[in-house]
Amino acid sequence: MRPGGDLKEHRPKADKALTPSRPASRTHHLSESNGQYAIDLHEVKKVYRGKVHALRGIEMQVHPREIFGLLGPNGAGKSTLVKIMMTVVRPTKARGTVLGRPMGHKPTLARVGYLPEHHRLPGYLTGRQTLEFYAALAKVPRAVRRRRSEELLDTVGLSEWTTKKISSFSKGMLQRLGLAQALMNDPDLIVLDEPTDGVDPVGRRDIRDVLLKLRDEGKTVFLNSHLLSELEMVCDRVAILVQGTVATQGTLDELTAESQRYEIVIQGAPPTWISEYPSLRSKAEDGRSRLILMGAEPEPIQPLLDRLRGEGRTILSVKPVRETLEDLFMRAITDPETGATLQPGAIAGGKGGRK
Amino acid sequence: MTVFLAMLLDAYRQLNSKKLFWVVLAISGIVVLFYGSIGFDDTGMSMFFGLTHIEDPMLTRDSFLSKLLYRSIFSTFILGLWLAWIATILALISTTAIFPDFLADGAIDIVLSKPVTRVKVFFFKYIASLLFVVLQVAIFCLGVFLCLGLRLSDWEWRIFAAIPLLTLFYSYLYSVNVLIGVWSRSTLTALLVTLLFWFGIFSTNAAETIVNRIKTQMIMEVEGNDRDIARMEVSLGGLQSNQVPADSPARANLQRSLESTRSDRDERQVLIDKIERWHKPVRVLQAIMPKTGETIGLLDRWLRRDTDINIMDILDGAVAVDESGRYRRTQGDEDREIERRLESEAETRSDWYIIGTSLAFEAVVLLLGCSIFVKRDY
Repeated sequence: MRPGGDLKEHRPKADKALTPSRPASRTHHLSESNGQYAIDLHEVKKVYRGKVHALRGIEMQVHPREIFGLLGPNGAGKSTLVKIMMTVVRPTKARGTVLGRPMGHKPTLARVGYLPEHHRLPGYLTGRQTLEFYAALAKVPRAVRRRRSEELLDTVGLSEWTTKKISSFSKGMLQRLGLAQALMNDPDLIVLDEPTDGVDPVGRRDIRDVLLKLRDEGKTVFLNSHLLSELEMVCDRVAILVQGTVATQGTLDELTAESQRYEIVIQGAPPTWISEYPSLRSKAEDGRSRLILMGAEPEPIQPLLDRLRGEGRTILSVKPVRETLEDLFMRAITDPETGATLQPGAIAGGKGGRK
Repeated sequence: MTVFLAMLLDAYRQLNSKKLFWVVLAISGIVVLFYGSIGFDDTGMSMFFGLTHIEDPMLTRDSFLSKLLYRSIFSTFILGLWLAWIATILALISTTAIFPDFLADGAIDIVLSKPVTRVKVFFFKYIASLLFVVLQVAIFCLGVFLCLGLRLSDWEWRIFAAIPLLTLFYSYLYSVNVLIGVWSRSTLTALLVTLLFWFGIFSTNAAETIVNRIKTQMIMEVEGNDRDIARMEVSLGGLQSNQVPADSPARANLQRSLESTRSDRDERQVLIDKIERWHKPVRVLQAIMPKTGETIGLLDRWLRRDTDINIMDILDGAVAVDESGRYRRTQGDEDREIERRLESEAETRSDWYIIGTSLAFEAVVLLLGCSIFVKRDY
C-alpha cells in the first residue's frame, strides 16, 4: 500500500471525506461542556529574554468535541502558544486550564496528543518502534501499545512500513507517522501544529478525514495551520492570532455574520424600486444586475423574489454569500485605522503592534 | 519504570544503529583474543598461542605469580590502556551527540509533551546513555573472565567489578559532556570541552605525581641525612669520650661532614616546605575533581588485595619466595622504595573516598545540567 493510500475502515463517511464541509451548526455553548472548556486560557504572556513579547495576554477558549483552528501570520505567536500548552515553553505569566486541570499539569498530558511543527523522529527506529516508544513515554500499557500501533499505522496508511526504518520515510510519511504518534495514547485533546505540512493533496484529505472522525468520536482537536482553506473545511471555531494577541475568535458563522448576504442576479437593469429597501444595494454589470441584500436569513429575500417574478424579470441566480476565512484573516491582520497590513513578527519591547 | 525501560531500549537501539559501537566491540574482541593468546605451561609463559615462549620457573601453569600476572595484564594494561583511554575516547565520540540530538528542535518537543517531568526525562536519558559503556565493558569482561578460567582455571568473578568501575569512570566525564551538551546544544563543543576537562584532570594528576615523587625522594634523602647525622654524632661522641683533640684531623673532618650534612638536610627541608606549599593546593584540587585514574585503579587494588606484589615487580623480576613459601617483593633500590611509599600513600585513600568524592563532583555537574535542561524553553 502506498503511503498516500486509502484509510480503509477508519475512513469516515465518504461524502464528508470527498467534500468536507464546514459544520456550521456545531456551535458549542458552555452548557454542552458542563461548564468546562477543553482549553481555557487567560492572560497568557511570554516574553523572551525580557525583550521580545511573543504573547501579550492570550484569552482563548476551546470547547470539548470541536475542531478549533488557530491561525495567524508568521511570528504571531501561534507555535509559542501551542508549546506553552504542551509544557515545552514556560510562560512568563499564564492562567487557565487544559482538560480541566491547571495548564502545565504533567499528568494531564497523558490525555493529550501532540504533533509539533517540523518534528524530528528518531531515524534509527522503525515505524512501529517509534509509536511504541512515544506511547511508553505517555505511559500507555505495553499490550495496548502493540495493538494501537498496528491500528494507527493502518489508519495513516503506513501499515506496509511498520518494520522499515523511518530514516527512509518521505516528509509526508513522517507527517502521517507523527499524527499516529499523537494518537497513540487515545487522547481526549489532540494538538496539531501544521499537520499537513509537506503532505500531498491525497494525504491532506486523509488527514482531514482522520480529524473529522476524531471529532465525531468526541475528541477535541486543536489545529494550528497556515492553510486557511484546510482550516475552513474542518474547523468548528477559529481564533486569529496577530502580534501576540487574539484578534478574533468564534465560529465562522459568528465571525462572518456582518458580511453575510444574499446576492440575486437578474437579467437587465436594476429595478427602480430598489430605494424602497434600505438594506438592498444593486450593481449593474454586462446587461445584468446584481442585487445585494445584507443578512444571513432567507426570509427577507422572498418578497423581493416575488416582486421580481411579478415584473417578469428573469432571475439568473440566488445565492448566500459570506466572507471566506481568507477574507476574515486579511481583515484581522489589517490595521483598521491605516488600512495597512500589520507587520508580522513578535513585538520587541512590547510597544507598538496591534491596537 | 515504563518510561525508564522505554528510554533504555531506545538508547540500545540508537547505539545499535551506530557503526562506531560495533567497531569498538570488534576491537575489544581482538584485544580479548590477544589476551586469550597468552598461556602458561610447565616451563613458562607463551604469547600469540605459542608463537613466542618465555621460560621462567616462576611463571608456570598453576603458579601464584602466573595468575597474578594474567590478572594484572588485564587490570593494568588492558583495562588501564584500552578501556580507560582508547575505548573511552571512542565512546565519547559515539555518545556525545545523544543529548544535543535529543534537544534538537522538533525532537525534544514530543518528549516534553508527555506526562513525565523534565527532571525524570533528564536523568533517565543520562543513565540510558551510559548503556554504551555498560554493554561494551560487560561483553569485554565476559571474554576476559572466560580467558582466565579456561587458561588458568582461575574463575575470578571480581573481574566483573570492572563493569561498575568503568561505568563510574566514564560517567564522571560524561556528566561534563552532558552539561556542556545541554548548555550549548552543540556536539562538537561538548566533545572538545570534555576532552579538555579530561586532559585537565590528567595534567593535574601528572603534576601531583611528579611533585609527590620529588617530595618523597627529598624526604627519603632527609631521612638519609638524619641517619648520617645520628651516625656521625655517635662517632663524634666516641671521639670526644676518647678525648681525641678537637683539632685532630679525624675529629675535624667528622665535624665538617656533620655540619655539611646538617646544612644539606636543612636545605632539603626548606625545599620540601616549598614543595609542600605547591603540593597542598594541587591536592585540594584533586580532592574536588573526579578520581578517574584512581577509580580504574580500584580494580587492580581489589584483584591483588592479598598481596603487595604488582605487575612491575613481576616484570622486573623483583619477586622472591620466602622461607614459608610465600611470594614477597625483594628489597629494592631507592626507586623501588619511592614506588612503594607512593603506592602505600595512595592506598591510604579508601575506596569510598575515591568513589564518593568523584560521585559528589558528578552530582554537582549533573544538577547544574539538569537545572539548565528544566528551565530552558525549547
